[in-house]
Amino acid sequence: MSEIPELKTTDSTPKTVTRRRFILGVIASGGVVAAANYKFISSAVHGQMSSAGERLITINVNGMQRRVDVMKQETLAWTLRYKLGLTGTKLGCDRAECGACTVLIDDVPHYSCSTLTHTVRGRKVTTVEGLASADGKLHPVQQAVVDEQGFQCAFCMSGFLMSAVGFLKANPNPTRTELAHGISGNLCRCQDYNKILDAMMRGAEYMRRA
Amino acid sequence: MAVIRDVMPAFDLLQPSSAADAQKLLQQHGEEAWVMAGGLDSFDWLKDRIKKPKVLVDLSGIDELKGIRTTGDGLEIGAMTTLTEIANHPVIKAQYGVLSDAVSVIASPQIRNQGTLGGNVSQDARCWYYRGGWPCYRAGGNICYADTPVGRNREHAIFGANRCVAVHPSDAAPALIALDAKFVIQTPKGERTVDAEDYFLGPEIDITHLNILQSGDLLTAIRIPSAWSGAKFYFEKVRDRNVWDFALMNVASAMVVLGGNIDRIRIAVSAVAPKPMRLKAVEDAVHGKPADATTGAMAGNLAVQGAVPLQFNAYKIPLMRNLVKRAIGGVQEATWTS
Amino acid sequence: MLENGRKEASKPGGKDRQYGAGYKLIGKNYPTNDLLAKVTGKAKYAEDFRAEGMLFCRLVLSPVPHARIKSVHLDDALAIPGVKAILTADDIPAPADSLNDNGTVIKASKWGERALTNEPVYMGDPILAVAAVDELTCAEAIEKIRIDFEHLPFVIDPLESLRPGGPNAREDGNVWVRPEPPNPPIPQLTEVKWTEQDFAEYDQGRLPMGHAPDEWSLGDIDAGFKNAALILDETFITPDVSHQCLEPRTAMAYWQNGKLFLHSGTQSTFQTKPAIAKWMNMDVDKIVFISEYTGGGFGSKITGGLTMIIPALLSKKLNAPVMMRISREEEHCIGRARPSLAGRMKIGFAKDGRITAIDMFTVCNSGAYDAQGDGASAARIVSLLYQPPAMRQRAISVMTNTPPRSAQSAPGGMQGIAIIEPILSKAARKLGVDQVALRRVNCPEGKAEFGAAVKGKRGHTTSCFLKEALDRGAAQFNWQEKAARQPKRIGTKARGVGVSLSCYVGGTVGFDGLLVITPQGRVQFQSGIGNLGTESVIDVHRAGAEALGVPWEVCDVVWGDTSKHLPYTCASGGSQTTHAMSRASFAVANECKQKLKEIAAKSLGGKPEDYEVANQRVFRKGGGAGLSFAQAAQRAIQLGGIYDGHDVTPDVNKQTKASVANLAGQGLVVSAKDKYPHDGQTFSYVASFAEVEVDVETGKYHILDFLAYADVGTVMHPAALGGQILGRTTLGIAHAIGQKWVYDPHYGVPVAKRFYQNRPPTILDVPVDMQWEALDIPDPETPVGARGVGEPPVGGGCAAILNALSDAVGDEIFRRAPVNSDTILTSLEARRPMQHPLMAHI
Repeated sequence: MSEIPELKTTDSTPKTVTRRRFILGVIASGGVVAAANYKFISSAVHGQMSSAGERLITINVNGMQRRVDVMKQETLAWTLRYKLGLTGTKLGCDRAECGACTVLIDDVPHYSCSTLTHTVRGRKVTTVEGLASADGKLHPVQQAVVDEQGFQCAFCMSGFLMSAVGFLKANPNPTRTELAHGISGNLCRCQDYNKILDAMMRGAEYMRRA
Repeated sequence: MAVIRDVMPAFDLLQPSSAADAQKLLQQHGEEAWVMAGGLDSFDWLKDRIKKPKVLVDLSGIDELKGIRTTGDGLEIGAMTTLTEIANHPVIKAQYGVLSDAVSVIASPQIRNQGTLGGNVSQDARCWYYRGGWPCYRAGGNICYADTPVGRNREHAIFGANRCVAVHPSDAAPALIALDAKFVIQTPKGERTVDAEDYFLGPEIDITHLNILQSGDLLTAIRIPSAWSGAKFYFEKVRDRNVWDFALMNVASAMVVLGGNIDRIRIAVSAVAPKPMRLKAVEDAVHGKPADATTGAMAGNLAVQGAVPLQFNAYKIPLMRNLVKRAIGGVQEATWTS
Repeated sequence: MLENGRKEASKPGGKDRQYGAGYKLIGKNYPTNDLLAKVTGKAKYAEDFRAEGMLFCRLVLSPVPHARIKSVHLDDALAIPGVKAILTADDIPAPADSLNDNGTVIKASKWGERALTNEPVYMGDPILAVAAVDELTCAEAIEKIRIDFEHLPFVIDPLESLRPGGPNAREDGNVWVRPEPPNPPIPQLTEVKWTEQDFAEYDQGRLPMGHAPDEWSLGDIDAGFKNAALILDETFITPDVSHQCLEPRTAMAYWQNGKLFLHSGTQSTFQTKPAIAKWMNMDVDKIVFISEYTGGGFGSKITGGLTMIIPALLSKKLNAPVMMRISREEEHCIGRARPSLAGRMKIGFAKDGRITAIDMFTVCNSGAYDAQGDGASAARIVSLLYQPPAMRQRAISVMTNTPPRSAQSAPGGMQGIAIIEPILSKAARKLGVDQVALRRVNCPEGKAEFGAAVKGKRGHTTSCFLKEALDRGAAQFNWQEKAARQPKRIGTKARGVGVSLSCYVGGTVGFDGLLVITPQGRVQFQSGIGNLGTESVIDVHRAGAEALGVPWEVCDVVWGDTSKHLPYTCASGGSQTTHAMSRASFAVANECKQKLKEIAAKSLGGKPEDYEVANQRVFRKGGGAGLSFAQAAQRAIQLGGIYDGHDVTPDVNKQTKASVANLAGQGLVVSAKDKYPHDGQTFSYVASFAEVEVDVETGKYHILDFLAYADVGTVMHPAALGGQILGRTTLGIAHAIGQKWVYDPHYGVPVAKRFYQNRPPTILDVPVDMQWEALDIPDPETPVGARGVGEPPVGGGCAAILNALSDAVGDEIFRRAPVNSDTILTSLEARRPMQHPLMAHI
């Protein structure tokens, strides 16, 4: 029988970690306060240390100023989904390698799973919920998806939409290959790439006409 | 103790708006501080809960670290300039194309929109044992899991192994070495400028760090001298998938050819060793020789001398030989009529 | 910036052709009912639901491949404020025995997977679940838990387990055997070890072939080989590939008035409820399952699973809603995978390429828990797709301490095709026969036979027009021209073309349709199909609407929630849905017409056969008195009984009857069982064509072109069909170009757990303009003529790429998939396959 490696996090194995920079056992005190606080913060999903004053921030989401209580380590995806109810933004990997969480920050596509909410104060965040106009008219790229029956399970769809919209704003007349590069930071596990490209090319056309 | 991933531990977030403030905070918090640029590397460590810094210093609000400026001798790129901005910058594309080529194949569009040049060259090794939290040499332990008779090491080093066989993951690094870039570092004792290749550290010097940054140091800018402006460049990255993946290997060269002969050349490869390798011996050997396939082949053979493959990465030897060959002699492209 | 070798073109593909001649709805594109919600971000997947007072739960996974838990120390974790409960294996109910549709009791397997375990059998096996007020508290608590393990022997490579003295994945065995009927069909774990002699050729890369418990044969194999002009004997290894659905199998549960409400993704809204009941050992009627949208399944979410049970149990214990979010890394462990097959085939060929005999041997890496039958399935598909006159198949399914496997799109079919196709390509080159011609002479046709004879009789297909797809595909792909191109190599680039046959099962029969015509005159189809985005959940009801002659605008489809009264429905696995449920929808529409006529006769006089149904009315033939659908529905409510659901036709399933009863009084409520005749077993087929360009100096290659030409019966919905053909093709391609597992065998744990390490294909790894086309020839054994499509393209996706690669760089380059730069480069250097031939998970 083989030896099993001790696969442990640093705080639990002080003897092996004292050499590492940056890794100090932070941990439990924060969690304890957090959990205790939680009972009194019924609106927040997550609660924990640090003073409320610093955490209450305003972010501009889909053209609205949203006041929201945000933990220091909270990602934008988490804030959007769990604090603002904008669940159209999906978490497929939470590690910047699927693109389902893509949103526009100042019109540029970013992985919201890998963006701290505190870094988007004063910046303009657009999610899939913000694409259609207030009267319900679909964004040209959304309309193109409807017209081409783009996507299958659609868990990746909002991320693809945001990537495409961001890319097309800067590159309104792409070739199919250029568009594929533009939306290449999004993974579709149904592997419906061909139909997605059909839809997005049509979206580009609709955007040019609009 | 049981392990849980994918929940970021709590930390205090500090968001300085100037490099001086950032430096102050780094000095104040010393080894308790984690420096975050674009965050793509940092978030992995944090979400895996392998690293739990008390303080996170976010550099994204420091405008003076962003942007590309022309200087009297070339360009200065702020360390927090995004990879997308570098990839699209007209001067870089026109004069220093090896760098725009290199950064435009990093990861994915969104990562390039957020990832920075400073972050790309300062990121940590991607050895899957090390990143999986195994207590290896690089993590401060006393074993290398990849370099065992059955260790999985397809993506590991063929040069420069010293207990650790991880490779350097940066695509920008070899291009910057080829351009003879200078890295500007603010240290507690003042500014320091180092040659690109001297920024990186092998395990023989420090097995737990890939670069020379000390606690309290801040990489602020990378300067591209005009010496290689408009040179003949070559960059190629070989990877499994055409998006996201780190290089199985990459090569970057800058060459000045006079009368058909190589007058000056700098060439570097990465993902072959724990640090990006400048191929000085190759540069010397091809100097004055024709920039053609024969010289390229000679250079390729020379480049791989001394390579030590592991069980699953012997392919890196012909790959390196061929990439170096191409970087000097070019690629024989095919044209089919149908 | 163009990818190397990519071309920029927009060729007319399947999506530009007109289908459904003579139909109003079938064969036409339309925006599906779920599309607007998806495109606006309003579609709710399991993790998008919130409930008042919702708690969060996270799993503790085994860090080791095999161990017995000696003790767990939970006190420190439980002491953290906000921690609500920790679930252990002792809290998990014993799984119930179940009844199949024939009423046979299926005993719960003693080796079966439970939601949590005290004897983890793979790294990642869930051990504990911690519920708390938030995930951060869960995490802090989990890091305070100490678990003492007694480490047990483990094995990750099935061949190592079969070696003399090799380790077993469990103490009581390593190999699955199926008892002969009439015993209950529960596979039993036993111990099988091969001899040193069996392993004699291992180092030469030849798959050892010791005792295999699963064997059948047909025809005279010896004579087949004796008469062969060429015999090839080759080993080929396919990869273990995770399903990697983009939506992790997150689940949320709460209880109300003794009923369990569960939100999660599924491949069958209807069939998941009884599966949950079995796992929970509870009454099926006390479960409400909600799943309007599911983010991918591919065989990994066929019905219920452990991720549903844990929040259900915690929610019951805590009397609060519980959300268990599954992370990507957890998904890698518990999210299922396709088993690898190590295959060896000896094939005899006549001069024209006709196969004379096949001797096939496969070793299946079955992973932890349930037995996987991919080897036997591979043999069945091979026997159909290449019509050997003589064949022997032997298969062995070995348990290993690696994550549990499950069906993945074309289970066994994908591997069987990947194993045999490169041998066919090699044979064609050796015989000097065109690749398409070699496939053509072996291609099945019509009522083709397959598999072993049972009681002297072999099974046969309902229909097969694959030859026509092959011919048309070859023409559309310009096969002749591309295959004849010389030279194959210019400079550093080598080009090659590949063709592959492909097929898989494509339909079942005997399910129920259920619809309501409301007093407002709307036609409401009840759909128990899971919504995976293939759109079969909606599409199949176009068959019913077509039969009723109603415009789609007056139709509604109710789906995604078992409290909305769904009919007995197939699970969306085995590509059965389009076939099975279009039949059921067609059946219920015709039954509805009959009921409308009866209502008209009762209301307006005469006999039912005096009436006809058209234009949303039932009226006397030749004109005259009639009722609108709305009036007929109002009359149905007045009539009651069989018309408004207070009575039900006796031949539908018990669950359909319950749904009818719940809908009673809402209008004309009609149910019907699909009893249409059906001679043979339904399969669908694809001819796949690929062109690749290999850079011989880096080993890197690009797919230049791909065409999948399908024989899937009547085309129901072209856009959705095209998505399925190319999507599943690409799932197959992934096996050729990169997806795999990497394990450290010394520690028995995976080192590649991330997308960037397991490598699911990106949009830049496939051509930007892939092509699909479909014959659109109705299957004669089903009223609408439609067959399933999901799985049939998968094997062809993988094998056409493999074949194109060997055309470009030669036969002696690779002996396993995936094929990457490393394989190609080192083998080209050495002029022989250099990758380790048989080692698992490299």
